[in-house]
Amino acid sequence: MSSPHLGCLEGRLDARKDLNFLVVDDFSTMRRIVKNLLHDLGYANVTEADDGNTALPLLKAGNFDFLITDWNMPGMAGLDLLKHVRADERLKKLPVLMLTAEASREQIVAAAQAGVSGYVIKPFTAAVLKEKLEKILAAQPAKAG
Amino acid sequence: MNDFARRSASYSQLISAMSDALARGDEAAFDAAAWTLEGEHESPMRSGVRRVAGELQAALDQFGKSSRLVDLAERDVPDARQRLAHVLKLTDEAAHRTLDLVEQSQPMADALARRSEELLKQPEQGHSPATLVEFLKTTASTANEIRARLDEVLMTQGYQDISGQIIRGVMKLVNELEGALAELIEIGGLRPANASSRVVSPDTLQGPIVPGVQHIAPVAAQIDVDALLSGLGM
Repeated sequence: MSSPHLGCLEGRLDARKDLNFLVVDDFSTMRRIVKNLLHDLGYANVTEADDGNTALPLLKAGNFDFLITDWNMPGMAGLDLLKHVRADERLKKLPVLMLTAEASREQIVAAAQAGVSGYVIKPFTAAVLKEKLEKILAAQPAKAG
Repeated sequence: MNDFARRSASYSQLISAMSDALARGDEAAFDAAAWTLEGEHESPMRSGVRRVAGELQAALDQFGKSSRLVDLAERDVPDARQRLAHVLKLTDEAAHRTLDLVEQSQPMADALARRSEELLKQPEQGHSPATLVEFLKTTASTANEIRARLDEVLMTQGYQDISGQIIRGVMKLVNELEGALAELIEIGGLRPANASSRVVSPDTLQGPIVPGVQHIAPVAAQIDVDALLSGLGM
């Protein structure tokens, strides 16, 4: 059931509740918060990874429709994960939302140049996450099948 | 006996020893006498360097005796690392416990809201007294259960007191460490000319914004990020 605070993504987006999300963050609490917010928005298929090194094999092996990643993580950082995704023929069109405390102009520009689909700085609100998801998904073609 | 007379006697003995060793072909004895002579006749510059080195050594010895740097490096810094790791653990546990309680409360509130909406959809006269009593009983018990979880969320925030005290202790240690290192730098004359200018690589991740300690100007808020990305055509 959708949270009365967040509401549902309406119409077209409601048809996409079967989307598979991968949430990558080294802090398990943040993964859990994002997972809860996604559940509130009606997305039940959420997988977690704690850095780029664990996320990349999951992305390559799985059938993910959306990647939400932190930037500053031990192992492989979010920007490198994004670059790997964009360099992979099968994954290159995957929507990638960067959810990070990194807020310098240079870093935001670097993420944009690497092909990020959206950029949210922490701390963030549920409304901002919803808005960015909605915007990115609206620009995506409907899921096959 | 004045200084030159004393040195003359010594030089005379050493020169004789060198001469004898030369005559005997005794290289070791010749070298030994020559080194001694050189040592006794060292230049004012060498003796000056030796004096400065001695003074520096004395200053370092004194520093070593009085400074807490050794204690700090050997005991307090590893302690601080453990303390900070404990803070990380405390905050992690508190956040997860809070999330547990929120996740337990959400379906209770959702179920109550759902049942209320169902009852509201029916005409008023359609509710039997038993239905209403049952709903009110469920409402009361659910409210109590949610209230109990909110109380626990409240108590879970106690981690802030403990972690705050630990972090203050670590801040005190950092201050001491700074003082001891500054003293060492002063004694050693290690401060480079451009010590005050700090170069931060643009590749360095800054982490969360902390007022007063950012070396690269962050954008102010999400609205600025959006404007920046929009300017880049996103």
